[in-house]
Amino acid sequence: MGNWERLVWNQREVLLEGFLVTLHVCALAFAAAILGGLALCLLRMHVRPLRPLATLLIEFFRATPIFVQLMWVNYVWPELFGWPNSFFTAGWVALALQSSGYLAETFRAGIEAVPRGQREAGEAVGMGPALVMARIVLPQVALTTAPAIVNQFTVIVKSSTLVSVITVQDLMFQSQKLVNVWYEPIEILTATAAIYIAFVFAVSACGKRLSDALRRRFGIGSG
Amino acid sequence: MDDMPAIRASGIRKRFGELEVLRGVSFDVRRGSVVSMIGASGSGKSTLLRCINRLEAPTEGEVYIDGVPMGFVEDRGGRRRARSLAEINRLRRDLGMVFQQFNLWPHMTALGNVIEAPMRVRGLPRAEAVALGEAALEQVRLAEKRDAYPAHLSGGQQQRVAIARALAMQPKAMLFDEATSSLDPELTEEVLAVMRDLAQRGTTMIVVTHEMRFAREVSDEVMFLHDGVIEESGPPGQVFGAPRSERCRQFLSKFIGQAR
Ligand SMILES: Nc1ncnc2c1ncn2[C@@H]1O[C@H](COP(=O)(O)OP(=O)(O)OP(=O)(O)O)[C@@H](O)[C@H]1O
Ligand SMILES: [Mg+2]
Repeated sequence: MGNWERLVWNQREVLLEGFLVTLHVCALAFAAAILGGLALCLLRMHVRPLRPLATLLIEFFRATPIFVQLMWVNYVWPELFGWPNSFFTAGWVALALQSSGYLAETFRAGIEAVPRGQREAGEAVGMGPALVMARIVLPQVALTTAPAIVNQFTVIVKSSTLVSVITVQDLMFQSQKLVNVWYEPIEILTATAAIYIAFVFAVSACGKRLSDALRRRFGIGSG
Repeated sequence: MDDMPAIRASGIRKRFGELEVLRGVSFDVRRGSVVSMIGASGSGKSTLLRCINRLEAPTEGEVYIDGVPMGFVEDRGGRRRARSLAEINRLRRDLGMVFQQFNLWPHMTALGNVIEAPMRVRGLPRAEAVALGEAALEQVRLAEKRDAYPAHLSGGQQQRVAIARALAMQPKAMLFDEATSSLDPELTEEVLAVMRDLAQRGTTMIVVTHEMRFAREVSDEVMFLHDGVIEESGPPGQVFGAPRSERCRQFLSKFIGQAR
């Protein structure tokens, strides 16, 4: 027990600091992935001239290993575009790219699953395509895909450990740093794993409760 | 002006690829009258209604609402140009559509469904839209369900909300596409009662239905659609009592206990 106290409990502030960075990176990546995924999906489905480009990006983001994307954004983008200018930014952007590819496909499936009669009811009262999309289709997509979106957040959390490689000081980074100070990995890494498990479980449980609540209220959404 | 029909369909044809579903359909609906469309499954009834409010563009022919063509505008020189989607959307507001599957928006309450178009399409301020919406819900006898989501309403209640949603746009005419066909028999009556009520108040209506008794009692005119043409039409007494067309007679014989 002494080891746990010395290596983990006494380092709780460092670990907490790391965890907050993890949260920060993941929250930014998640928000960007939702916006990016939605943009890619709408471009692909509704903007003919940009469809091939959107499709290419979606496939590229989904098919490249996350580690390769991280390296690519961190080392290649600054050369090409002069951005991102920090490891932190490169970290969440790389995470967002991959998830936006997946979410674009999730949103597409969600949009296609909205029954045609739903749109027609809007058209019949004189709504144009933009109103139908914004007021009828997308709100329902948000409801039906909520569980998948929450799940994507847990994917981001797990992938986010990789940003420690480019020295973003997240939970994984701090925990490795502690290991390198004392060369006693057992307690620290076990505790780190436990924190990730607890967090991912908590997020999943929230997602489950959310989708149950949505189903009760609106009668739509999948389990 | 007064003998201008509320709805005029003129030479409507509709083709889906090889399949010609409507093969020249023309009729007038006088203001304040109720026209029932009957006919076998696949005869083109839904397609006809959808051509009238232009959820489908007719391949040929034109629909006039109070004399205004849905599909084109004529400039002073008499040249025709096809209407834009925005113009069509504007004209569509004048036609309320009620679908077999209700198609209520599940993420909005009953009142939310009803005030959506008055607010977003007509641009009414919220208070005004709510007043309109509450009146429409009152009319379908569902005022107390204003805050319920569709998932918590029975099929009959959902369909009545859908009727209120159409009424809230204060349309010139209402189109009903088998409004009771997906309802259990005990829920059918409450929807038909609302439709009767509308008819009595002088609402112009086209009603696609398999409820022969309703068609007989409420309509001013009945049209029997067969294979994309109006095979027989006339006052209900004539179409149900002494149909001239053999096909119409055959069709009606299937409903024998119901209508006659
Ligand atoms: N979008 C479409 N594409 C291809 N064919 C269609 C389309 N819509 C309708 N049809 C065909 O047109 C024919 C008439 O269909 P419609 O739905 O108008 O019939 P209906 O009289 O309303 O039948 P029901 O009583 O079953 O509702 C059918 O053969 C149908 O398969
Ligand atoms: Mg039909």
